[in-house]
Amino acid sequence: MTQPIRDFVSNLLTERGKPAEFSDSDALFTSGLLDSLAATELMLHLESDHGVDLADADFDISMLDTINDLSGLVSQPA
Amino acid sequence: MSTVEFANGGERTPLSPIKLRKAWLGIDQNDRAIEFASSQMGAFAVCLAVIAALGLSFQLSFSALGLVSVSLLAMVALPSHRLLILSGASLFYFALRPFRIDGWSQLLRAQAEAISFLPHPLVLQFGAVGIVLALSLLFLLWQKKYSHATAAKRPVLTLCLLWGAMLLAALLTTTGSLMNSIMWSVVGVSISSLWILAYSAVDAKGKDQTSSVSRAVFLRPFWGGSAAPIGKSYGYLNRFAAKTDDELAVTRLKALKLAVWALLLTAVLKIVTYVAYDVIGLTELQTAILAHANGSALPSSVNWGSLIANYLIDLLIISVWGHFIVSIVRMCGYRIPRNTVNPLASRTLAEFWNRYFFYFKELLVDFFFYPAFTKFFKKNLKLRIAFATLCAAGLGNFMYHFMRETYVFAEGDLLEKFTIFQSAAFYSLALAAGLIVSQWRGKKVAPEDGFFNYHVWPRVNVIAFFCFLKIFDDISGQGSLSERASFAVSLFGV
Repeated sequence: MTQPIRDFVSNLLTERGKPAEFSDSDALFTSGLLDSLAATELMLHLESDHGVDLADADFDISMLDTINDLSGLVSQPA
Repeated sequence: MSTVEFANGGERTPLSPIKLRKAWLGIDQNDRAIEFASSQMGAFAVCLAVIAALGLSFQLSFSALGLVSVSLLAMVALPSHRLLILSGASLFYFALRPFRIDGWSQLLRAQAEAISFLPHPLVLQFGAVGIVLALSLLFLLWQKKYSHATAAKRPVLTLCLLWGAMLLAALLTTTGSLMNSIMWSVVGVSISSLWILAYSAVDAKGKDQTSSVSRAVFLRPFWGGSAAPIGKSYGYLNRFAAKTDDELAVTRLKALKLAVWALLLTAVLKIVTYVAYDVIGLTELQTAILAHANGSALPSSVNWGSLIANYLIDLLIISVWGHFIVSIVRMCGYRIPRNTVNPLASRTLAEFWNRYFFYFKELLVDFFFYPAFTKFFKKNLKLRIAFATLCAAGLGNFMYHFMRETYVFAEGDLLEKFTIFQSAAFYSLALAAGLIVSQWRGKKVAPEDGFFNYHVWPRVNVIAFFCFLKIFDDISGQGSLSERASFAVSLFGV
């Protein structure tokens, strides 16, 4: 489950000229490594490929900040 | 000729500016420099160098420099008490300088004069600060206790509505009454700290363990800045906190590099301003617009020159201002991203926003873009992006400036005062429209497209857009929207 997301994030980083090496706990958005446009691309990916619904009142970007966070999100029951 | 010793076998190499620059830029990766900055003496030396850069720039008042110096030196001397010092210094700063802009300070002084028994305007100010602190703490405690309530889950919307209710209450009180003075003072203090409280409230929903009391007193970080908080909140800062002595040393060396860079940019700013205004004879953009509006338009060449000079000077001002603040935050041990990063390199309008004023863009994206993007028009991507961008760059941008300037409604005709915001409304809509089109186009230029198409043309477009948009970037009410539009078209001889 983690690898496709990791590949997607790697791709986002590469497109922006950033090194695609990162750990599962590295902050992607709050660190400024990825910008808000990348966040929208990732959100679309999570919705379309993993069936995640982000329209929750609790949502904030820190929920997508690390690979660990993302893995937790996609493994939650819909 | 001077020489410098390098680690490669102790060989003495002639000192050159290029090598010095390289050594300086790599100082935060140099083992000996990190070791030195890790020591108590080295930490003090780095701290004093940052303070010297701040002082030499003359960007801070003497009192602000004093507070920053004492706070930073205290953190170096007592690193284990960093949070306590940060909270204490920020509370002290909040009490003495609760407003972000002069309009509110002037209103408070006027309100204080209207209360005959008040011994000093500071009494009203401290009272308002006390009320806002208490209200903020109550809000955070309520949010924690009723975390499942919809209002607690949407703290930004709740806070904006509560603040709007306070503004309405202030408007309904009798001018000149004690209640009127208190309400307007509380509205002014709270809008200056609303967005940082919103960040704290959002943090409280997540994993950050900072106590409600610590969050409530952190409403105005001692490093200053606008109402869009650089460093956001404790939760955000904690993500960037140095965890080891080496990390702390590296963070402080980065602070020093940024402070020195800001000092150099300050010198560039002085030179550019002197050359533009005193040598070439250009004027400030606002002066050129008002001259055009008053029927005494300046020559077209002066108007064009002033437009371009204003844009460059504005970039330099925000760079210097943001770099100094970020360098102070980094000296505290938080390696947060820079506020401005080479905005002239932007190839798209969206990229420019990211590079120009990172923390304001973050505020708009965090509080307006993401909530709209995750909820509305999910079946139509273009509409979804457009609506979320409109919410952020249009509505959010306008709301931020409108709410910040509401002191104008304390006196005079309410409807008449709304006209002050016409340029700001147009600016926000035009910016949103530009960003929407920029995102819709989507096509990314690549180096294979050629030097001109990759390096030059996209940047010229971005610069031109923001250069012209600056004509409408006004919240003073001087120069109406139509007068500004007339100035814009006059540049092309129309």
